[in-house]
Amino acid sequence: MGTPGALVLAGVLAIAAGALSAGLSRSPRAGLMAQSVGMVLLALAGVWVLASGHAVGAGFRSDVRPAFGLDGLSGFFLLVIAVVGAPATLFARDALEADWQGRSLAVATGAFLLALVGFVCARDVSTFLGFWELMTLVPAAAILLARQDREARHGVFVYLAITHIGGSGVWVAMLVLAQHGALGGHPLGGGLAAFVACASLVGFSTKAGLMPLHSWLPRAHPLAPAHISALMSGVMIKLALYGLVRVLFQWLAPPGLWVGITLMAVGALSCVGGVLYALMQHELKRLLAFHSIENVGIVALGLGASLVFRDIGQPMWSAIAFAAALLHALNHALFKGLLFLGAGAFSKAVGGLELDRLGGLLRRMPWTGATFALGAMAIAGLPPLNGFASEWLTLQSLLHLGVASHLGVALAGALATAALAGTAALAVYCFVKVIGLVLLGLPRRSECAEASEVPVGMRASMVFLAGSCVALGVLPGLLVPTLAALGPGRVRLHEGAGLNVPGTGSLPTLALALALVLLVSALVRLARSRRAAPAPTWTCGQPPATGLAWTSAGFTKPLRLVLEALLRPQREVRVISSLGVVESVTYQAEVPHLFDTLLYGPVSRGALRAAGIARSVQSGSLRAYLIYLLALLGLLLALARTGVLG
Amino acid sequence: MSLATLIAGVVQVAGGVLGAPAIVGLIQHLKARLQGRRGPPVLQPYRELRRLWGKSGVAPEPHTLIYTLAPAVAVASTALVLLLLPIGGHAPDWGLGNDALVLVGLLALARFAMTLAAWDTAGAFGLMGAARDLMFSVFVEGLLLLVLVLLALPLHSTDLLSVSHAATLPEVWARPAHWAAALAFCLVIVAETGRQPVDNPDTHLELTMVHEGPLLEYAGRELAYLQWSAAARHWIMLVLACELLIPHPGPFVAQLAVLGGGVLALSVALAVCETVQAKMRVLRVPLLLGSGAALCLLGLASWFAGGGG
Repeated sequence: MGTPGALVLAGVLAIAAGALSAGLSRSPRAGLMAQSVGMVLLALAGVWVLASGHAVGAGFRSDVRPAFGLDGLSGFFLLVIAVVGAPATLFARDALEADWQGRSLAVATGAFLLALVGFVCARDVSTFLGFWELMTLVPAAAILLARQDREARHGVFVYLAITHIGGSGVWVAMLVLAQHGALGGHPLGGGLAAFVACASLVGFSTKAGLMPLHSWLPRAHPLAPAHISALMSGVMIKLALYGLVRVLFQWLAPPGLWVGITLMAVGALSCVGGVLYALMQHELKRLLAFHSIENVGIVALGLGASLVFRDIGQPMWSAIAFAAALLHALNHALFKGLLFLGAGAFSKAVGGLELDRLGGLLRRMPWTGATFALGAMAIAGLPPLNGFASEWLTLQSLLHLGVASHLGVALAGALATAALAGTAALAVYCFVKVIGLVLLGLPRRSECAEASEVPVGMRASMVFLAGSCVALGVLPGLLVPTLAALGPGRVRLHEGAGLNVPGTGSLPTLALALALVLLVSALVRLARSRRAAPAPTWTCGQPPATGLAWTSAGFTKPLRLVLEALLRPQREVRVISSLGVVESVTYQAEVPHLFDTLLYGPVSRGALRAAGIARSVQSGSLRAYLIYLLALLGLLLALARTGVLG
Repeated sequence: MSLATLIAGVVQVAGGVLGAPAIVGLIQHLKARLQGRRGPPVLQPYRELRRLWGKSGVAPEPHTLIYTLAPAVAVASTALVLLLLPIGGHAPDWGLGNDALVLVGLLALARFAMTLAAWDTAGAFGLMGAARDLMFSVFVEGLLLLVLVLLALPLHSTDLLSVSHAATLPEVWARPAHWAAALAFCLVIVAETGRQPVDNPDTHLELTMVHEGPLLEYAGRELAYLQWSAAARHWIMLVLACELLIPHPGPFVAQLAVLGGGVLALSVALAVCETVQAKMRVLRVPLLLGSGAALCLLGLASWFAGGGG
């Protein structure tokens, strides 16, 4: 079994013991700490397998006898789970109360972590599908443990319904693959490959939250407690992409160029659509959930580009695009975990997370505020943080697809490049808004003016994630060659701290970061050598007041007007006046989620109507059922007579 | 290091740091002349920078560290962009690479810092400009990346030096893709430098400001930084246009002459354009940039229709 196997076993045992002790003892704190330690052990195992390149445990096999093992790709995703899981459990240690609810949530957290780990370690169909289902069901239970109100129950229902209807594609794909011995054997080819590719695209992209099958995600993710949200957004949806990678890159023979192009199209739709709707949100956690759709879209763009490069015979760029996608998956886990934990800290300090009712929190909560701002910069894809490194690599891959040798592929590449560039700019727009509304300006509620910093465990987990964002932003080159070697073609890339890829002007991340820090500190010192005169901000002579402050809707208005035809914002102004005197004005505005109103709405209405028709058949009267039986018997006899039944 | 590389390095720094304000001064001067006024002298921006350098800053209430850091971050990232630019097809190795997408990222960082500073002081006017600036940036960045796809076509590289080499000979004008890239890049120049018809740099009305808006609360040396970085953005965009789009054959001296002449000619063009064009409605700017994007896609199609060469 070796060291990594022992580490995994110890980690899993620590998590299980932690979950048990949290459930049995009076306070969940010790149990959550044990889970955090278990996660660290699993991270070590993942890094070990990834660095050594040797698989441990069983290999993939197509039967249903339970088997577990780890290879490079699983090791990487184990690392993704652990870098969010360890700080999330540490965060939960201080965030959860020592009551029944806190203890049961701690147990659910442990179970969720075990389901995630089990899924990446699964080596046969039964464990793969079993943990796949657990991974969906456990967070639903966790949400219902935390909240029992109507909105939460409805959100969980939508989550389970969509992920099960869409997720059935995964069952179909896996069972067909297993039947033909593609797991661990020869990749499945021929006409069935196209069928399996379609089924797995539908199944996995539903769980990954790719548009247009994303509708559950912005409903379910904001409902969960902060650390569960961090795990769902940071890790769970990433594991659906892990499944997709297994199927499309390892278990299927290339079914054609269309798979890669389809994945790119879905990715482009998700990243532009996700970030656009994120910009229009006015609640922090819901906004972050929409950003998960965007980032999963970016990963899908990278994977799609990798497939297309493979099919047009450019193995080096195929490997680079693959590495870009995996790197972005890890990066997104880090900064989205950080942002959700930050949102949890704010919510613990001030209550609600309506963006227009926060403000000025950077001064009151410097640790949470600074790490949150760093996470926001990273997700906005700004140098020198990790989001920039992976988006740079993805953009380079797409751009090189744009100069590829076929017109169709080139047009797809160019459009995807423009879409990703626009997405990056929109993400900057969105997080300028978020930082401004949450952290800066005047406090807009008395709770914000009196907020106090959260306990040390919560702070430490956020500092760890922010530090990882900086580290991966400065030293992405340590990881990228290893990730590229996991991809198709097993290409070896140039090693080093930065990203030195042929066909680019190279991205020397370390030098850029150092130069930026040195220049900024020198410039600040030079400017601040003179004393600055205090003065109130100029607002035409009046004192700055919260009632006149910019709102979330106001800041995004230019874009909403430009894209009016696309977003179809609705607003309603009611003025009540009597005798020419205005007594009250009510104003209501929203950007409806068009996927819900135009796509899911008609579908669910149709389903309800069909159910209504079916219900009228169920009259409840015994005579009606006797007639049905008679009719059925008659039909069967008639069929038998004509020989249809053989 | 060859002499040409050394000179290129000197021009990168000196041209960007010392020469950039002269471009803004020249445009202002020419514009005044074209409008029948005598106007400020070409060297006026330098006088303003000297005046601001001697003044004390302002600490508005409320503000945080972000207000203090923002001008420095904006200037630092603009200054690093200066070091990525090719000059006459050469550039010394500063250890920062010469990648076009890094350049885009650094410009985005500068924009991020300034728009965040507008939030920090809780003022109403700065955010008006910030919101518009961010809205433009969505379309500008998309268009700029499409231009880069077109420019990367000949040598399959986003290295600015390679792109510059690919445009050495006048034959590049025989390719429709190059024309499309050039026209689209003109739109990017106007939008990134904040010139009419996208933005009016001379406006004193807060309600119409775009780039100037977030600068309102600054004074003293910090304002001097920001005015310099606005001037440096002119230098960056014009040098990129000359190096990546205008053919520059011959020895290094001739290439330098083309660069100098090109920057001068484009400055004159900006002044003329600003005189004959009124400012466009903010909401119509994306349409203008979108038409540039359509042009780029046509250019890409034409490249492959012409057999990829």
